[in-house]
Amino acid sequence: MNPMDIDVALANLLEKYQVAIGQPVCLGLKEDDEQLQLVPGHFFGTVLPKINQIPLLTWRTARKFTELKKIVEDTVIQDPCLFRFCCMGDPVQWSLFSLLYRELDLLEYIGNSKVLSVQAVISDQKAGNVMVRLENQALCSIEVSIQMPVGSSMIERHEIIARRGVTSDLVVDTQIPQSSVYCYTSQGETHFTDVDNELFGLDNLQIEHVRSAFRVLEKPDLAENWRQQHLHLCTLIDMVFESNNMHQRIFSKGGQI
Amino acid sequence: MKPVKIAILSLTHGHTRKYYQSLNDNPKLEWLAVYAETEKVRDNFLAWGYNIPCYMNGNEMFDKHPDIEAVVMASANNVHLRQFRSCAERGIHILSMKIPSFDMEEYAEMIDLVAKSGIVCQIELELHYNPVVARMKDILEKDELGNISAFNATNITLSPVWAFPWQGVPEESYGKRVPLCPGDNRFRGGALCDHPHVFDMIRWLTKSDFDFVNAAVGPNIRPDLVVEDTILVNGKMKNGVSFLFDTSWSRLEERLEVPGPGWEIYPKRMEVNVTISGEKGVVLVDCFGPNVYHNGKPNDRYTVQYTYFDEWIGMMDEFVDCIRNNKTPKINLSWHRQTIEVINACYESVASGKSVYL
Repeated sequence: MNPMDIDVALANLLEKYQVAIGQPVCLGLKEDDEQLQLVPGHFFGTVLPKINQIPLLTWRTARKFTELKKIVEDTVIQDPCLFRFCCMGDPVQWSLFSLLYRELDLLEYIGNSKVLSVQAVISDQKAGNVMVRLENQALCSIEVSIQMPVGSSMIERHEIIARRGVTSDLVVDTQIPQSSVYCYTSQGETHFTDVDNELFGLDNLQIEHVRSAFRVLEKPDLAENWRQQHLHLCTLIDMVFESNNMHQRIFSKGGQI
Repeated sequence: MKPVKIAILSLTHGHTRKYYQSLNDNPKLEWLAVYAETEKVRDNFLAWGYNIPCYMNGNEMFDKHPDIEAVVMASANNVHLRQFRSCAERGIHILSMKIPSFDMEEYAEMIDLVAKSGIVCQIELELHYNPVVARMKDILEKDELGNISAFNATNITLSPVWAFPWQGVPEESYGKRVPLCPGDNRFRGGALCDHPHVFDMIRWLTKSDFDFVNAAVGPNIRPDLVVEDTILVNGKMKNGVSFLFDTSWSRLEERLEVPGPGWEIYPKRMEVNVTISGEKGVVLVDCFGPNVYHNGKPNDRYTVQYTYFDEWIGMMDEFVDCIRNNKTPKINLSWHRQTIEVINACYESVASGKSVYL
């Protein structure tokens, strides 16, 4: 399956699982009001999605985040105190906006609490460091950068430290995500992390895109939920940039002033 | 070069054990004596089996060994000034722990004492002699990252308070009892006071000073501590570099009174990791890696066994060189003052919820 086939991949899933949809769908933004367009929420920027456009929180379908959320929700770790999130990508694929959008959503999703306040510093519109307080009082760091060389894999870390236990998507005593296959040949060094056999051949961002679109089509109520979260995330990102500009902690609406 | 005759004061600091080996092994040093602050501390020292006289009174040690030239001041922060005065009066050189004092009047007196007595005073910031940090410095000096946008670092550890109780007592760690912020029943003097390295390193490596800081504490992982154990700091340097530091005691520990195998609950006791993001790329640094691992004695838990580097050797070599050749250490009281000031500024930010400008 090549990178152009994500629409085909989605169609196959819909057919396989007999999910009926009432209108044509696509996984890109188009000037066609008849098509239901499902794209990652940060693609919209701060522009309000049209009625036929659904912002997807694609990362929520990644298995590792599902498991991290489950570990917190099932109190495998108990009483989270500190969240340490980091995400660095290349400037072609990512922007500070898109990384902040992703990480703030993951924070609320895994932390099971809304953002109370943010205090941010940003340099050169390329790197940002945000301290976040959740409504449950947990303290969180979000480090983002788009200064990885073009074509680099994303480097990320999501660690939650609780009174009982720590959970993380990074191996203890390592600095970068690990792969499942390392291939050393005369052609050089390559590595692979395949996570979805039904969608084998797509890269992980494409898999998240297809899976999240499928989830929304399977459970249509989710569309409005994610649309509301999209608007909320745009507000949070505004708060981040306002905090950077004002050198102030900014509280979310309803939070402490 | 004639070895420097040296002693250790108090033996109550968490790094004391490092100095046993350093003083014993370094041919440039002649280890003459130690002063133990309590009988328990004395018994712990004697159990190591070093054939070094141990005194229960610092003045008695100095009187019996008038040839002591230098000391490692391995004591709680609140006794440093008294020991500075005593050493300056006797013309004894000082290797001070990382926090000479958080009280800037005391700090000024220490600078004055050192200047007037002509002694050498070096601050223990051993990462300046760490080979991984040397590589990071080399990468930056070769401009391989271009202009730096962000410098993020952790200095996270288990909490030492069960073995070194003064680190959990605000008066002994911070120097006085100051509430963290209104409505909070904790006080200054916890994890932030234990981890000044990152504040020093960013000044050293970016060649810039702090512009402003924001700091916030999280809920304590150990609710029974009266000092903070989770804290984050962000801000900017005067050259525009943004930073985020995590200096928490965020690795849980068994509550051992004497540190040793099995101290850690989380597999890794400590990390100092640095991420630098620049216009030409990103560098990730683990100042204490890679390591080896086991799940054996005493708790059959997966455990990171450190493969420590030799920073303590380089640091002591510089101390000896400064004493013998009348040099000023790189990490002297004047250089270190802004690091202390910015830690105080972090506490002010925790209290006010606002940015604090340096």
